Amino acid sequence: MDKPSAITIKQLHKSYQESAQQQVIFNGVEMQVSRGEFIVLLGRSGSGKSTFLNLISGIDPPDSGKIIINGIDISALSERDRTLFRRHHIGIVFQAYNLIPTLTVAENLLLPLELIKRLTRKDRDNVAELLDKLKLSGRLNSYPDRLSGGEQQRVAIARALIHDPDVILADEPTGNLDLDTAGQVLELLDILIKKAGKTMIMATHSQEVIGQADRVFSIRNQSLHLE
Amino acid sequence: MNSLLQRSSRNFLWQHPWQLVLAILGIALGVAVVIAIDLALESSLNSFNQASKVYTGAATHRIIASDGGLNEKLYTQLRVKGVSHLSPLVTGYVKLAQADKDSFKVVGIDPFIEKSFQSGWQNGQKENVSPDLFTRLMTEPNTALLSEKTAQSLHIQLNGQLSLVTSRGQQSLTIIGFLPHTDAVSEQVLAKLIITDIATAQEVLDLFGKLSSIEIQLTNDAPKFEAAIRSMLPGNALLVSLDSQEHSLREMTKAFSINLKALGLLSLLVGMFLIYNTMTFLVMQRRHLIGSLRLLGVTRQQIFTLILSEAFLLALIGTLIGIVLGVLLGQGLLQLISGTINAIYFRIDTTALVITPFQLGKGMLLGMSVTFFAILLPAFEATRLSPVKVMARSQLESGSRRLIKVVGFSSGFLIIGGLAVAFFSGKSINLGLASIFLILFGFGLLTPMLTLCLMKLIECVFGRFLGVLGRLPVRMVSAEISRTGIAIAALMIAVSATIGMDLMIGSFRQTVAQWLHSSLPADLYVSLPGDKMGSDKFLFDQQLKDKIAQLEGVQMVSTALQTKLIAAGELTKTTVFELATKSKQSFIFKHSMDDSLWDRLENQPTLIVTEPYAYHHALQIGQKIDLKTNQGAQGFEVIGINADYSGDQGHLIMSRQIYQRYWPNLGYTGIGVYARAEADVQQLESRISQLLTTQQAVKSNQTIYKASMELFEQTFTITEALRWLSAAIAFVGVFSALMALQFERIRQLGILRSIGITSSQLSVLIISETGLMGLMAGLLAIPVGFIVAYVLIFVVYQRSFGWTMAFYFDAGTLFQGIVLAFIAALLAGVFPALKMAQTHPAEALRTE
Repeated sequence: MDKPSAITIKQLHKSYQESAQQQVIFNGVEMQVSRGEFIVLLGRSGSGKSTFLNLISGIDPPDSGKIIINGIDISALSERDRTLFRRHHIGIVFQAYNLIPTLTVAENLLLPLELIKRLTRKDRDNVAELLDKLKLSGRLNSYPDRLSGGEQQRVAIARALIHDPDVILADEPTGNLDLDTAGQVLELLDILIKKAGKTMIMATHSQEVIGQADRVFSIRNQSLHLE
Repeated sequence: MNSLLQRSSRNFLWQHPWQLVLAILGIALGVAVVIAIDLALESSLNSFNQASKVYTGAATHRIIASDGGLNEKLYTQLRVKGVSHLSPLVTGYVKLAQADKDSFKVVGIDPFIEKSFQSGWQNGQKENVSPDLFTRLMTEPNTALLSEKTAQSLHIQLNGQLSLVTSRGQQSLTIIGFLPHTDAVSEQVLAKLIITDIATAQEVLDLFGKLSSIEIQLTNDAPKFEAAIRSMLPGNALLVSLDSQEHSLREMTKAFSINLKALGLLSLLVGMFLIYNTMTFLVMQRRHLIGSLRLLGVTRQQIFTLILSEAFLLALIGTLIGIVLGVLLGQGLLQLISGTINAIYFRIDTTALVITPFQLGKGMLLGMSVTFFAILLPAFEATRLSPVKVMARSQLESGSRRLIKVVGFSSGFLIIGGLAVAFFSGKSINLGLASIFLILFGFGLLTPMLTLCLMKLIECVFGRFLGVLGRLPVRMVSAEISRTGIAIAALMIAVSATIGMDLMIGSFRQTVAQWLHSSLPADLYVSLPGDKMGSDKFLFDQQLKDKIAQLEGVQMVSTALQTKLIAAGELTKTTVFELATKSKQSFIFKHSMDDSLWDRLENQPTLIVTEPYAYHHALQIGQKIDLKTNQGAQGFEVIGINADYSGDQGHLIMSRQIYQRYWPNLGYTGIGVYARAEADVQQLESRISQLLTTQQAVKSNQTIYKASMELFEQTFTITEALRWLSAAIAFVGVFSALMALQFERIRQLGILRSIGITSSQLSVLIISETGLMGLMAGLLAIPVGFIVAYVLIFVVYQRSFGWTMAFYFDAGTLFQGIVLAFIAALLAGVFPALKMAQTHPAEALRTE
């Protein structure tokens, strides 16, 4: 692996308190992801796929261990700094799309940009251009609840990319979609993310995606196993 | 109802304890305010009757007299003519030398006759007191009975001396027995009571040869006896039934009572919005649960019953807590209400809260029915939830928007209807207040629609400067309008009622201040208290007036006598003036007048009536009022209607010259002193004070003005307290709505956090939204408050008290209204904002 490392995970431990019991999710996970690499995560429901993505994005802090992204150990950052880091460097695609229902499609895309900098005319043009690419130019001022599932997921992918993050995390992005629509979404991910050289970690059950991945890991017994 | 079904619902409620607490609090606060007002008001009014029963016992009728009192010979005459079951009374107030602030009521009785009347004070005595006591009371001069408790507090032993300050100087009574109390009310009444025999009371009160009243016990054929007794009475005496007297006291305070109760209902109305909001939240939050239950075969009716049974439980708990809170609050309000009744209407000596099962039942019924009314719509909504597809929030909101439009347009009918009721409902106070409720409710229903429009407007105007993040709070208010709209409406109602009342009180204050300035033309006023039945009072008063008039620096004097005359079978307050030239300028007539008015007032049987009197008796210039005199009924022509804010029943104004043609000379109750331009008023005041007894006082017009304005403020203390209570309930409403909102959108807030919004940005976002809601409520409250003030001033207050006043616009009040709404909403948003900021984004994202 001669490409520079985008993500390094060392001795990652994470557990949750469930009633009186401590539920261990990860116990000493180690991982290294190169820049531009496409990683697929497999695992049965409840194995910890979403938790793993949450840990990498800084949404959830680990109990111990290190998560180093672009040379920054985000596990050592405060909650606020992790948020600011995520704002600049991470893009997330959820299974349930998770668009902001009170913002239009265009505003959903502009929000990550506005969090980083003052919006310019060029940003608005870029949004329009991206939506055009996604065949959503007619939906610029629509609210998310007016869009179909496939359309919503396309907007969610665009939102994850709009601020040009280094790492894209996708949590079963096709889980809520029918086969045809899922195929279109994967094609889009391939064009916009993989071919653009972005690092991506995707939790999925889709066999089609597994075939396109650089490496496939499965989560078993509280650790990652290369398939 | 299936117990598992109930358990599924109950478990949900237990998982949302704060929402449960706020719902119960909403019901409890609304019920508490209504109960507190009812208990305090009824206790104050009943205490007057209870107090009189302590010394009137089984009497059914009473002979009273206009000032001048009853001649004691009347009692003998009535007995001689065969009228039995009579009990003469001499009553009056004295001050104790020991405790200088308290006044005590002296009641002079005939102990042996009184016994058959079973007066309250005797009931406790039966077993404890020897029959000798009554004999001693009658045969030993200057003996008295005193409450056991008061005697203890004054450290007076049996056969000890009680020193009184009377108009004739200090006087001592020997306490020969103690009065034990039987209940809380009698304890309060007896604590301020001194029982003596008639002769001692006459001596102490300087009422030789006079009686204050004669109590009569009529059992059979009352109308026949009434007519017979009436034919035996002199011109200044009146036979009244105690029932009708109680009724007239209630009538007198009717407007005051209705206005207070309306304030209580306002709290309940605001509370109703809160209950509705909470119950809607509890239903909407369970849409998944309800959908699942419907899939399992639970019928719509079962869902409806489930929600209603929950509401029943909440209503029951909330109402019970409300009743307990109401009793506690009632204790506090009792002092305020009885203080106001004392200041405006009549003297109340007792202040014990009396709680009856009827009042508690009324509160219970009100709390339960308001909750059921508020829950009906959410319960119906719950039955409409689809068993197959649980609707998304946005779908529910679009349904709500349609409803908001329909309700918004229909609210126009309520508002127009309210205005129509306000101006076309004759003299009805109830309808006047009902119109305010209709207007407030109408605007409350219109609020969500107006909020949507205003949010749109804000976005259009400021959208491009706000950015996407800045637009979010505006969008959040609009997007969840079914929730935000109700909270804004509740706050708007509370704030507009506050603005309306502030504008009304401000206008009233200005009007009264102007009236006081005008009606206090003299530099100094001498008050001459003391019973106007006093045997030679008029001689002393006349001498005092002459001495004052002769003092250096006095330009002129005027006199006033406040007395009561019998008009239309009622004792009617009358002021008899001996006007100085300058005094005439103090009258503010409600009509055009010419100079002949004063001449007619002084030389013909004419009078001026105050505006409230004219209003309550539908009198106009030129009409006649029949007054009872010793020479029979005499008609007096109304030649003027004068502005007066000293009381809401109004009174008659007559010249002394005319008065003395028909009634005895009772001296004066006040002397107005006009100083010469070059005179030192302070020096004059001290010279006059040297001429006065300890009971008399001289005060400058400024001192009286200040004291009057203080009294004015005091009468509105209760109003202030109540409207702050309804504002507090609205605050709980907004708080509850915001908590519910944040709880509902926790996932959405988690998404925002996942795309890089920090917890402090999230707090700002939430607080901006709540601030916006407050601002909206404040802005909408301005026109509504303005309309409420207008209806209060020109409809409700005029009908209640007969006063007309000018509308004084105060921009400060409107500004305060906006600030109040804004700050209340901001404060209500702080906790939800902090809670949401602390919520872990991963946890928030896991929430469905």
